[in-house]
Amino acid sequence: MDLTTYLISKGVKRRDFIKLIGTTVAALGLSPEIHSPKIAEAVEAAAKKPPVIWLHAQDCTGCTCSLLSSFDPGPAEIVLDLLSIRYHETIMAASGHVSEEELHKTIEEGGYLLVVEGSIPTVDDKYMTIGGKTFSKILKESASRAAAIIALGSCAAYGGIPAAGPTGAVGVEEIVTDKPVINLPGCPIKPNWLIGTIMHYLMFKDIPALDEYKRPLAFYGTLLHDNCPRRGHFERGEFLEDWNDPEQSQYCLLLKGCKGPKVYTDCAQSFWNDGVNFCIGVGAPCAGCTQPEFYATGPQDSINRAGFAPLYVKQDSFKLPGLGGIDAKGIGKVVTGATVAGLGVHFGGKMVFGKKHNDEKDAAEEAKK
Amino acid sequence: MGQRIVIDPVTRIEGHLRIEVEVENGKVKDAWAVGTMARGLEVLLLGKDPRDATYVTERVCGVCAGSHGWNSSMAVENAHGAELPELARVLRNLILGAMWIHDHPLHFYHLSALDYIDVTAVANYKGGDRGLLNVKERVAALMKMGDTAPLTPRYKPDEFCVSDPDLATTAVAHYLKALEMQAKARKMSALFSGKSPHQASIVAGGVTFLPNVSLIQQFKSMLNEQAEFIRNTYVQDVIAFGTGPLLPLAQAGVGGGYGNFMSFGGFPLKDGEFLYKPGIVTDSNLKKIDDFDEREIREKVKYAWHEDSTDNLHPSQGKTVFELDKKDAYSFVKTPQYNNMPMEVGPLARMLVQQPKELMDLVNKYGIKVGAVARHAARAVESLMLLDAMYRWLDELVDLIKTGDTRIHDTDHWEPPVEGEGAGIMEAPRGALGHWIEIKDRKIANYQMVVPSTWNFAPRDEKGTRGPVEQSLIGVPVPDPENPINVVRVIRSFDPCLACAIHLIEPDSNKVLEFKIN
Repeated sequence: MDLTTYLISKGVKRRDFIKLIGTTVAALGLSPEIHSPKIAEAVEAAAKKPPVIWLHAQDCTGCTCSLLSSFDPGPAEIVLDLLSIRYHETIMAASGHVSEEELHKTIEEGGYLLVVEGSIPTVDDKYMTIGGKTFSKILKESASRAAAIIALGSCAAYGGIPAAGPTGAVGVEEIVTDKPVINLPGCPIKPNWLIGTIMHYLMFKDIPALDEYKRPLAFYGTLLHDNCPRRGHFERGEFLEDWNDPEQSQYCLLLKGCKGPKVYTDCAQSFWNDGVNFCIGVGAPCAGCTQPEFYATGPQDSINRAGFAPLYVKQDSFKLPGLGGIDAKGIGKVVTGATVAGLGVHFGGKMVFGKKHNDEKDAAEEAKK
Repeated sequence: MGQRIVIDPVTRIEGHLRIEVEVENGKVKDAWAVGTMARGLEVLLLGKDPRDATYVTERVCGVCAGSHGWNSSMAVENAHGAELPELARVLRNLILGAMWIHDHPLHFYHLSALDYIDVTAVANYKGGDRGLLNVKERVAALMKMGDTAPLTPRYKPDEFCVSDPDLATTAVAHYLKALEMQAKARKMSALFSGKSPHQASIVAGGVTFLPNVSLIQQFKSMLNEQAEFIRNTYVQDVIAFGTGPLLPLAQAGVGGGYGNFMSFGGFPLKDGEFLYKPGIVTDSNLKKIDDFDEREIREKVKYAWHEDSTDNLHPSQGKTVFELDKKDAYSFVKTPQYNNMPMEVGPLARMLVQQPKELMDLVNKYGIKVGAVARHAARAVESLMLLDAMYRWLDELVDLIKTGDTRIHDTDHWEPPVEGEGAGIMEAPRGALGHWIEIKDRKIANYQMVVPSTWNFAPRDEKGTRGPVEQSLIGVPVPDPENPINVVRVIRSFDPCLACAIHLIEPDSNKVLEFKIN
């Protein structure tokens, strides 16, 4: 319950509330007549700011930096007006035991959004510690009283690039198994993915519709290849082979290893950095950073994903246009209609749900239920 | 025996850092720097296509993104004998330049300034400036709600925190303005590089994109806005703080160190020179700048969890064999040294090699010694140098395009070589950055990175000589052990990036937490 609702429930009217804060306003050196109503408004607004715990695991801080490079809302608006960021190692004023205490206090209060940036090591969870505690322990504690959990960026969602390394890096849902996790993959994330997901949650108190990799369909529901500005060149069989040739500069990047035909993202519809550009816009192949196959998930994977390495080479599974066409089905397959029970009061509504490792048959069965 | 203080996590940095200090009679007597996270990026590159290294190492760090990508490309180009076209060099300078002018003000305002401002003083602002009144109302509303996160909680403000309401309110207003400006700097970089963080345009052999005239003009307009902010706000704030409330810290040289500084050279120019010159300063002797010789670098492992057999190797021959139960070792970070000396790297090192008049005049006029405040000043001065250079590079870009030469990539050297060895050695925003690659059978056979924070946050060497940051903490005043604000001020002045410093770990051990002195 926010403060305003609480005060109203206690019989405090708005007028009384303004009077109530008048003395404090005066103590702050402000004019109570002029500033009390304004502050009351601000208080009402502030009272609704959702508390956020933001954990950094095996990360590069790129997703934080990307969020802070947002426009409309800008970073100051996000940090001060939109969210109440209680714990965030890159921006919070506190250090050491002061920051630890703030984390514990927020966990005790409960009902916060938990955002996780970075993967979690599983070969030995002691490879990632904060304040002498293993990260997986901190994550489980933080998840236990969270209202919603967002795995931000490819590392937190599926292990990302570190998944190809020696630490057995995995995403959040491999560690937090008793609560739903929203995956927002990307290397880094595009700010609108996080802001949009949080806004959806605040408006509807519910998780947005997700695909089988737990990605919101609103942002990851379309195939990049279908919306690529270079699609026409693909259909005509015009492929960029030499970056020095101005004539080829807008050609399809398939031969340079572009993963676009298998990648679900809105990058081609909603560009990066205030809408100015995206990877393909500068003639760089899409690396498929929003997919679980990013970067080098090997053939050992339970659904036999080949992985997207090497990046700058056309892999055999990427088809040229014409006979045979593009084999992109089965990726990002959406399973609809399943109502998820037992998700707690915040997640009482319906959402699209699917297990990451389902094959199509299992998924179809689940959809019937 | 003094009192042991543990600061973990050290926040407002990149990565995960634990600092332990021993305090006696109100001053730091000894210090240890420990990184607490690792991913293993060098290991995952083994056996991969050499061209992937650019993309993967770009992700070492999302703050100084671009630097690793360039150094990595440089290493692959070097191993292959590829020749970078002039247009590609200029475009890389502009893409990276935009990232540096993003990085330096962000470090001052968002990572450091909260150690120097009493934010609550904003509520006492009595002036009539509409912009500042707006800031006051915003902060006052948050204070009234008891929801001032992430500006509080914090270490208690001390006598060096600005509590003058006018100055504090102005500083908070600039903190907010700088948030907007750093987003715009990233946008500027994305015009030429696709997106930011993690640009897409720099690949082995060149860049993938030649911007048109309209984009070049857009870039220039955005550079104008950045230049205005950096010259008239950022640099003025650094000077106002450094020569005002922080002058006692500056003159006492709090957070000094050995006086050994190293620069690899940053931003290549057309004549083979660098915008920031390479060079070596030892023992604080600014009259003698030695040439930098890459062959003098060695990585030591006495106090690192690495097998002694890997001690004292040049990075091109570098090996990573871990021994996590090694006696007395306490850090994942190796101990890189130059000619057997620990070296500080970063903006102050670059500027003491370069000695630009703006900095030397400031330092001499106010009697500022090497330390935390001097690092902020150096960062500001080198931002001014960079701005001027970026205008020159834009002219150079246009001149090159006018010649009709559109080459941006050495396509003849795109397919990886059968074998080769190469290095990419150049300055990143936080200091000297080196990538070394060995290619066999067209695949990566060995990959080693020695990054700025490895130099600065190194543990002791075989003789017990502390790393640069450890040494810089000696003598730092800590009047209240519950409130070690000076310690974090000094640490942050180095602009640590620990994700960079540790990129490899031993997968088969569980000894990590045995170093624990809580």
